[in-house]
Amino acid sequence: MTETVSNSESSVSRALDLLRSANTRLVSIFGSTDFGSSDPGSNNENRVCRVHYLIDVNGREYRMISAPVTGPIPSATEVTPAAAWYERELHDQYGIECDGHPDRRPLLLHENWPGNVHPMIDDVSHVPWAEGQYHFLRVQGDGVCEVPVGPIHAGIIEPGHFRFSVVGDTVLHLELRHFYTHKGTEKLFENAPLMDGVMLAESVSGDNCFAHAVAYCQAIENALAISVPPRAQAIRLIGLELERMIAHIADVGALCGDVGFSVPAAYTARIKESLLQASTRFFGTRFWRGMAVPGGVTRDLSSAETTEFGAIVTSAARDFARMARLILHTSSVQNRFESTVILTAEIARQLAVVGPAARASGIRIDVRRDHPSGRYRNLNLDVPQYKYGDVLARARIRIDETAISTGLIQETLKDLPAGSILVPVPPSGYAEALSAVESPRGELLYWVRISDGKIARCHIKSPSFQNWPALPLALPGNIIADFPLINKSFNLSYSGCDR
Amino acid sequence: MIGDAVERSLRSPQVLISVSELLSNAAGSRMPDVQPGLLTDEVARRVVAACPTSALRIDEAAGRAHLILNYGECIGCSRCVAAGDGAFRYAEKVACCGVSKQSLVRRWDIQSRSEVVQDEPALSQAAEQIRALVGQALNIRQVDAGSCNGCEAEIVALTNPYYDLERFGIHFVASPKHADMLLVTGPVTRNMAAAVKNAYDAVPSPKLVVAVGACGCSGGIFGGSHAVVGPVDALIPVDGYIPGCPPTPSMLLAGIVRVLRPFLSPWRRRRS
Repeated sequence: MTETVSNSESSVSRALDLLRSANTRLVSIFGSTDFGSSDPGSNNENRVCRVHYLIDVNGREYRMISAPVTGPIPSATEVTPAAAWYERELHDQYGIECDGHPDRRPLLLHENWPGNVHPMIDDVSHVPWAEGQYHFLRVQGDGVCEVPVGPIHAGIIEPGHFRFSVVGDTVLHLELRHFYTHKGTEKLFENAPLMDGVMLAESVSGDNCFAHAVAYCQAIENALAISVPPRAQAIRLIGLELERMIAHIADVGALCGDVGFSVPAAYTARIKESLLQASTRFFGTRFWRGMAVPGGVTRDLSSAETTEFGAIVTSAARDFARMARLILHTSSVQNRFESTVILTAEIARQLAVVGPAARASGIRIDVRRDHPSGRYRNLNLDVPQYKYGDVLARARIRIDETAISTGLIQETLKDLPAGSILVPVPPSGYAEALSAVESPRGELLYWVRISDGKIARCHIKSPSFQNWPALPLALPGNIIADFPLINKSFNLSYSGCDR
Repeated sequence: MIGDAVERSLRSPQVLISVSELLSNAAGSRMPDVQPGLLTDEVARRVVAACPTSALRIDEAAGRAHLILNYGECIGCSRCVAAGDGAFRYAEKVACCGVSKQSLVRRWDIQSRSEVVQDEPALSQAAEQIRALVGQALNIRQVDAGSCNGCEAEIVALTNPYYDLERFGIHFVASPKHADMLLVTGPVTRNMAAAVKNAYDAVPSPKLVVAVGACGCSGGIFGGSHAVVGPVDALIPVDGYIPGCPPTPSMLLAGIVRVLRPFLSPWRRRRS
């Protein structure tokens, strides 16, 4: 992974120029504060606020452009619509105004939060409760109905609000209102000891907790130039691929559940549980919590366990592949999946969509291949893609990737390097670094700044935050009754998005 | 092809976990358990220092040093297991869940190396009581008050063919208006507080509320956040607590049963 960090002399306009040029993709925009280089202990008056643009160049390099902020900055949203939510967050968190932004409503902070308090720069110890009203876009015309759904939904799912404008069954417009599970996580990272940060990372999105933990640990390791033992890298790969398998298998099952095909839904839930129980048996944890720590992993596999674990994964994958074939050949499934909610490549590009949703819309990006880290550096990864961008394509991508992940786990188990699984973390002064991981939902990136052995700033670029805005743009013309299926086909994390 | 899928499913082996194996089984939860015989003053102080939350602490109020383990605050980070010289290991069973916050707490006298047992009844008869539930019905509405979705993943697992919650007459329902019990996960965020309160008000009385997970019980690692109100009982009355980060499906089931216990006898009396 290449990373370029340039500081004081660069400017926001350089970032916007880069975003305008071909073959660039916005990865994230975020803020930070520091006290300049000279006097870290000085008072708040000397604090410098910075904005950071993280841009993927040619699909091979992450380039970061940072600029000090003293007043309003030009908005990047007209250059790339993918910037819209990042800039709204920048305003909520840091009070940075983005001139020309088409939407100035708060994003993370709801009406209960006073508009003049910005958590990353202000004192938040006693923030009074405020009141206000959020203004949704009004769709008007004969027969147009508004259907508000959420924040509490009908199933065992996370909270978020959807405001549909429909005519009959057909959706004209959907507006998202999220961030109900916003927990101020990035603020909580501040001053956390390096070894404690991983626990916060694991609780950003519980079902992808290992991907978050690895991304965090790698960022720390990159910052402190720690080389993780090859055996630990291999075990991390196994965990990441297992997490992907579990997520994809569960998603395909849930898609069946949403079209009323409950037999494969129960069947895949069984396969998923068998993998969680295998994790418990061999690693002592159902979701690989506590496995990754800065410096390596905490639990090893004996050679006998390697064989047994491999056999369980193979059998689960074989079982799933057979059921997946039956699912895809069922005409009623085809009827519901095919041409439902098409996310076009054009919209996906404009919104910088990542992960399985991008690959199902003809955009072949995958962090494991484009920005490999750890053991992924030595792999020749097969990245599947489909062009149609419908529910069927998103199901197929998951089925294909499950098979690929199984292969990667088997290969790694067969060739597990010898040696230790953990190295100590050296004492640290000031350092910054980023790390990216392909989580089951797509590109997940952590950027950390370490100061005096603690986290000074940790930014999380979550694939769900990136992908949520694409869903409303794919929806118009579909029927509202298909929404559970549609939502499931993207399967975005609310907590991962809201943080 | 529908027929093929059904046939394949019917031919697959039975995986249902029996009630006796299920109860309180904490494997994979990484919750700690204490071997009192190996507990020393030094170990106690070391694990308290290692604990990133305040789940472990030493109480000297009674004139004797007690090691206190509050499962409601434990996030299963396993640092005490690493630092405990064998005195801490992963719990195979966690029976600490129940109707009071106190039931999440265990204490050991460090000097005499023994557990100070409290009055809460043990969970041993719970298997009988789950059976008593069969034929009855409990409708649960799950509410995510701001969780990381780890608890949701485990609650969803309760309905898979291994745990099959429906066999006990326990169902998840879509509306709080249909519910007997709210199962609330997560620290209550500022942004969810109003919705959680509305959901609580919408459940017809008598109603039960169970707080789930380290965040639901104590706020967990999000307790100090500016965007979080606090644990579930900071907002609405809570009738039961299930610890874990996240609690395993077995721990969830045991917790739900434990909360129901006070209600079981009158139900049975009414029926007979």
